[in-house]
Amino acid sequence: MPDTAVLRTLPDDSIDAAARRLSDEFRDRLGPQYVRHIVQLARQDLSGVPLGAIPELVERLARTRLTSAA
Amino acid sequence: MGYVDVTGVRHTLPDGRVLLDDVSFRIGDGVRAALVGENGAGKTTLLRIIAGDLTPEAGAVARSGGLGVMRQFIGSVRDDTTVQRFLVDLSPPAVREAWDALEATELRLMETDDEPAQMAYASAFAQWGDVGGYEAEVTWDTVTVAALGVPYERCKYRELQTLSGGEQKRLALEALLRGPDQVLLLDEPDNYLDVPGKRWLEQRLLETRKTVLSVSHDRELLARVADRVVTVEGGTAWVHGGGFAGYPEARAARHERMAELRLRWDEEHERLVELVRTLQQQAANSPDMASRYRAMQTRLAKFEAAGPPPERPPEQKVAMRLRGGRTGVRAVMAEQLELTGLMQPFDTEIWFGDRVGVLGSNGAGKSHFLRLLAGQDVAHTGSWRLGARVVPGFFAQTHAHPEWQERTPVDLLWHGEPGRPGVDRGRAMAALRRYGLADQGDQPFRTLSGGQQARLQILLLELSGATLLLLDEPTDNLDALSAEVLEQALAGFEGTVLAVTHDRWFARSFDRFLVFGSDGRVYESAEAVFDEARVQRAR
Repeated sequence: MPDTAVLRTLPDDSIDAAARRLSDEFRDRLGPQYVRHIVQLARQDLSGVPLGAIPELVERLARTRLTSAA
Repeated sequence: MGYVDVTGVRHTLPDGRVLLDDVSFRIGDGVRAALVGENGAGKTTLLRIIAGDLTPEAGAVARSGGLGVMRQFIGSVRDDTTVQRFLVDLSPPAVREAWDALEATELRLMETDDEPAQMAYASAFAQWGDVGGYEAEVTWDTVTVAALGVPYERCKYRELQTLSGGEQKRLALEALLRGPDQVLLLDEPDNYLDVPGKRWLEQRLLETRKTVLSVSHDRELLARVADRVVTVEGGTAWVHGGGFAGYPEARAARHERMAELRLRWDEEHERLVELVRTLQQQAANSPDMASRYRAMQTRLAKFEAAGPPPERPPEQKVAMRLRGGRTGVRAVMAEQLELTGLMQPFDTEIWFGDRVGVLGSNGAGKSHFLRLLAGQDVAHTGSWRLGARVVPGFFAQTHAHPEWQERTPVDLLWHGEPGRPGVDRGRAMAALRRYGLADQGDQPFRTLSGGQQARLQILLLELSGATLLLLDEPTDNLDALSAEVLEQALAGFEGTVLAVTHDRWFARSFDRFLVFGSDGRVYESAEAVFDEARVQRAR
């Protein structure tokens, strides 16, 4: 047996769900790729925040940034 | 691992009097120390210095292991503090600060939902997790279930004032005993607790491995729990290295030793003064004696500079004169009396001269019963009446006299009230002196210690000419000596006494008991009953 550990990561639902909702919300003004990028950045900026609070905070931050961009 | 090291602490009161001087002692890891002393001796001030609320004028306090403090006012919180805020305030400083930041950023976000506000909120959230806030919330859930029987989520917004004094105390004790702090300062932790609650507290304190310094006037609790006794008296503190059982003897021996040392010092001082005087006369006639005279002068100066040993602390003198007076043979009669929602109907007859202990669990209606007999408005059915010439005098449990807060004892005595004539300043001061309150005569009521407030209330009863004393936990804030004086005064009182008490020591002086059961039944008992279960109420 190799003496290594495999770090398994779980999919981050907060990004997918937020990107889906926000793409829909900003459909007329911004492209889905751009919306997803902003959501991913928001998620990065919020690293360290307890997981339970992540989905709400990511979506909120991304929405604020997208509103400014639009 | 936790300890408290107090070294050379000095504290002066705003009026210039030195309350504490050269106070030094150490409470080592795992020690359960009791802090005792007469009312007003400075126990609470010393606890506040150890807690860091007050900075000592001189000396230092070192401690390790995190400090949890239960303050004296817990049990009588009547403001809009919630259970949540209360538990936050009992938490370590890092948790408190993280919580406050979280609340502040949440508020800011509600007002301005922009990116900086969101990032500040996220950062406060991260900090909350980092300082162990979520673990604290899990502990709070355990605490509220243990103390109140409901989960944290269901009671966190409940105002503390809706809880009884005993429930407030228990909530604080559960939080501190289960919390991370290794040193606990408990200022009268047993006040407002019923006897099962006190037994629970004794057991928990015996089990904990934390270091505990507590102020209590409950002689049974002290005897069971304390393995050191720190005494504040004579403006300083000393430590008895054993339990409370051997404490009175140790204190008496110490006082005798102090008196002996002081006597020897005075005698030696007198001898040296006399020698100097004799040598002075001899030196006037004989130059040979001049050098001996100067040497003796130097010796006397050095002796006086070293100063006398501390004097034996003065004995507290409290003289209560509860006189009472002859009343009808039947002092209190109740038929099918029911306090709405609290108890089942019951009959009772209380005779002139009876000493009735009113016992039972917290929330069973005992205080309401006394308030009803005192003439206050308490919802009830059935009938009750007082006998001929029976004048009730009521001692309130939580000293809840908002109208007295800014008034001084002299003012309260001067003006009197319905049923209690006012007295002039001279008589007021004489009466206050008998109760050991002369120095507090012109202080606002709110600045008096719990024991001083209690003694003032008893003095007001004395002056009211009451022939039926209705006492709701009268010994709760009295030091052991004052409690004994009250017991003696009650023994000499010509009248009837009904007292709600959870003081097992005090209850021994009563001859019959009215027990308010947790099932709503009220019954008579010849023996004190302290194990009625807690009353369950809908929450």
